[in-house]
Amino acid sequence: MPTISFSYRDFQQLLGKKLPIEEFKDLAILYAKAEVEEYNKEKDEAKMSLDDTNLPYMWCAEGLARFFRGVLGIEKGLPKFKTEESKYEIIVEPAVKKLRPSIASFIAEGKQIDKYLLEQLIQLQEKFCESYGRRRQKVSIGLYSHRKIKFPVHYKAALPESVKFEPLEMSEKLKLNEILEKHPKGRQYGWIIKEFERYPLLMDSNGEVLSLIPIINSNLTGRLAAGDKELMFEATGTDEEAVNLAANIFAQNLYERGFKISSVTINRDGKKTTTPHKFAEKTKISESDIEKLTGLKLSPAKTKELLERARYDVSGNTVTIPDYRRDILHPFDIIEDAAIMYGFNNIESEQLTSYTTGATTQMNEFADAIRGIATGLGFQEILSPILSNKAVLEEKMETTNTGIVEIENIMSETFSAARSWLTPIMLEVLSKNMHNDFPQRIFEQGTATTRKGNRISDSEKIALATSHTNADFTEIKQCLNVLMKSLGLNYALAQLNHPSFITGRCGTIKAKGKEIGIIGEVSPKVLTNWQLEMPVSAMEIDLTELKRIISTS
Amino acid sequence: MNMAGDVVAGLHRLERAVLPLLEKLSSQEEIIKESGMQEVEVLHALHWLKNKGLCEVNETLFEVAELEENGAEYAKKGLPEKRFLEALKEKSLEMSELMKKAGLTKEELNASIGTLKSRNLITIGRGNETLFEITNEGRKANIPEQQLLQKLPAKTSELSQQEKKALEILKERKGIVKIAVKKAISARLTPQGRKAAADSAIKEKVVDRLTPEMIKSWESQKANLRSYNINAPVPEIFTGKKQPYRQFLDNVRKRFIGLGFKEMTGPIVESEFWNMDALFMPQFHSARDIHDAYYIKEPKYAEDLPMELVRRVKDAHEKGIAGSKGWRYSFNYRKTARLILRSHDTSISPRTLSSKELQIPGKYFQIARCFRYDVIDATHNADFDQIGGFVVGEGLNLKHLFGLLRLFAKEFCNTEQIRVAPSYFPFTEPSAALYAKHPQMGWIELAGAGIFRPEMTLPLGVEKPVIAWGIGLGRVAMFNLGLKDIRQLYSHDLEYLRNAKVL
Repeated sequence: MPTISFSYRDFQQLLGKKLPIEEFKDLAILYAKAEVEEYNKEKDEAKMSLDDTNLPYMWCAEGLARFFRGVLGIEKGLPKFKTEESKYEIIVEPAVKKLRPSIASFIAEGKQIDKYLLEQLIQLQEKFCESYGRRRQKVSIGLYSHRKIKFPVHYKAALPESVKFEPLEMSEKLKLNEILEKHPKGRQYGWIIKEFERYPLLMDSNGEVLSLIPIINSNLTGRLAAGDKELMFEATGTDEEAVNLAANIFAQNLYERGFKISSVTINRDGKKTTTPHKFAEKTKISESDIEKLTGLKLSPAKTKELLERARYDVSGNTVTIPDYRRDILHPFDIIEDAAIMYGFNNIESEQLTSYTTGATTQMNEFADAIRGIATGLGFQEILSPILSNKAVLEEKMETTNTGIVEIENIMSETFSAARSWLTPIMLEVLSKNMHNDFPQRIFEQGTATTRKGNRISDSEKIALATSHTNADFTEIKQCLNVLMKSLGLNYALAQLNHPSFITGRCGTIKAKGKEIGIIGEVSPKVLTNWQLEMPVSAMEIDLTELKRIISTS
Repeated sequence: MNMAGDVVAGLHRLERAVLPLLEKLSSQEEIIKESGMQEVEVLHALHWLKNKGLCEVNETLFEVAELEENGAEYAKKGLPEKRFLEALKEKSLEMSELMKKAGLTKEELNASIGTLKSRNLITIGRGNETLFEITNEGRKANIPEQQLLQKLPAKTSELSQQEKKALEILKERKGIVKIAVKKAISARLTPQGRKAAADSAIKEKVVDRLTPEMIKSWESQKANLRSYNINAPVPEIFTGKKQPYRQFLDNVRKRFIGLGFKEMTGPIVESEFWNMDALFMPQFHSARDIHDAYYIKEPKYAEDLPMELVRRVKDAHEKGIAGSKGWRYSFNYRKTARLILRSHDTSISPRTLSSKELQIPGKYFQIARCFRYDVIDATHNADFDQIGGFVVGEGLNLKHLFGLLRLFAKEFCNTEQIRVAPSYFPFTEPSAALYAKHPQMGWIELAGAGIFRPEMTLPLGVEKPVIAWGIGLGRVAMFNLGLKDIRQLYSHDLEYLRNAKVL
């Protein structure tokens, strides 16, 4: 979810109306899927978070103002936009086709770019490239001082060691591969082009490098400064539509700030197109679709009014989508905008009328019954994170091969695996409570996840542990007796040598010939590993298996 | 029964023994001697009597010189210097003979030589450095330190000047004496206590515990059962209790069942297919970065995906379906099979929607443990519980969605004050957020909801509209349980768990 900040005065200027910040806070939530997180009156700075990750045009003061000019009825329909034709040309060489084929560009001039506008441009550039542009892989954007560039510009690919230039924030010329190693941006984004034989770059007709794409601009031409009166915009990427969207959003923003926008011709082997690109996409919507989705019966005139407020053009049932939006996949996307303009809180709610019966799952019902027995036995219920780690689940338990499912990209060692059984968690709990009163009798019922070969499966388990000076096998077996009697099920114990338990005081619990769990006195070695000084006896039962046995018997 | 009688009836056997003695005696020592009771019994009795206002208890501190381990030994067999002298009384001795006869270690010997020589009690043989002789003073001498040892333990205030000096000397030596601070306890009857002590009932034999034997012979032999102070504190016991947050979740589950919702479950380890692709989230979506989900180390790929369904989902992504343009990219089969820990509870919905068991009309919910790649702090856990589900049925639309949200506000926040705002989820259109005014917490964002996109439901084989919703009760749970740190929801602190309220 992108967050941005801008001058609220600037926003109101773009809006063309004074709007108290408190009102704007409400409107942002009710219409824009956005929230004013903070407003610093002294600095005149509004911080906003934007919910819709698919609507990058809203991630700036210009886009928000344009949207709210529609909401407030200051303007309606498609916003004005005009480009001047120009002779500026970018020649796309065939070598980039397989690397990063798409490029769009325009020139903006006629107004001074002040420090604030520059910051705003860079903010949108960063937000767009990081999130929508998939950290520059899908789209990256460059801004240049236009008067230093000699057109036509060449979009080409070069061997990493064959070209040298001075990148921004550095004072020496570096080869392309050196930039990837030495420049902070090279280290951050180098992965995008590192595997290529040739690296994409922009070079002007003086042979000066504008930019190593999508890493860093050159010091010579790629430094836009406050006070500049014209700029060149370019976006490159792997997705033609997203690249064009970037250019359209920036062009629309600068146009609305009073800049003259000149188009740039993109020349691919003599095949010429111009950018900013006019998508001029049209979609048909029907009254029946509106009613089906929203429950609203809207007249064609009302629908037209609502959609024009949402900055669409409407003619009959054909809707034209603004060129700075590419989020419309389905007519429902447009209908949602109509409903938003209608006002969600103006739509009356209707109760669900169909009769349905509620129920939990049989497994949960069973587990709840078992939990009831465990509390009846005097055990305190525990609820733990499912994520644990190998040291807890195996090493401290002196065991191996419990079928741990481990995480590849761990955030912390503590939470690096799903728990394979619950008994270790009980010991972990006890180890944190040495200072509390004994006896300590605890249990947890929950999911354990294990891997057998390439199969991973969940099972519901329950583990009980009792700890005090006299905790022993007898006590925990008494608990097992109560549990099995409550289920009306006979069981047998088979001697088991398990490294977590004392030899001769541990067994496999079997019912109807199936293994359903383990019971025993925890070995002194394991207790020592947990720095426990009280005896512990414990049992763990696989409830999924137990339930299966009961329902088939 | 008069007041004094009431008081006497509640007196314990020990109190009954001690109280009359206080008419004549005051110090604890005397009482012990007179009554033949244990020190601790007298102490208890005085304490209880004081609490009942029957006597006043005075405590004064005093110092006692006590023997330590070495001191106790020396008291029995003599200080080394004492033994040294004794051994020489018969005849002069060589060092080795002396050590043997007096039972001295080399260290003790050396220490003793210094002390005895400085007091002129021995001489060391001329010409023979190791021959020791006793002097006349030595023969007559009493060693004051030894005399003191025999006398201990003793109150320091009762020692003579000479004994005090000996004590100072012994204190310098290791492990012989120590000074302990003790309490002298004395008691005095209050007027009420005097009245009670004079009550003849105090002589009666009382019984604390009713035994089976007493019950058997009750008719013939009634015992005098003492009254208890029912306000006296009793030792704590610890019972079996449900975990407070789990119980909160249990209650949520009951609410949903009451509202006619069926519970769904799904696996913790999921494929990207069920977690995201089946929700029409494009594989290039920004929420699908490696930094948002936990990836499974081994095995990496699911082998049990329903391939026919995967193909239908793939087509919807690539080319769209039913009037949708689709996402227009090349769907990756390998990526869809990649195993992760489920990152949200909505992963369960497509499983149910595509299942043969799906009932239309139907209402479904899940309470699911989910996992997101996040730094853990007071507001973020590695594990968290999400509550969500869907409603499917003919003719459902945005109005029903709002009706559902209104119902949730009433059920889970006990409020009818709500606001609905547009929201964004990759798999719903339209999408809405519910803000509800909780009676104590104020406005909170309580739920997110929307109508599943047709691009999502059609490939799963569902043609009827499906309202999807998720409800965020983490903050409500923490508020109800009085917690400030989200990690306490899974607290391992027995003291907290044992004392937590049962809601």
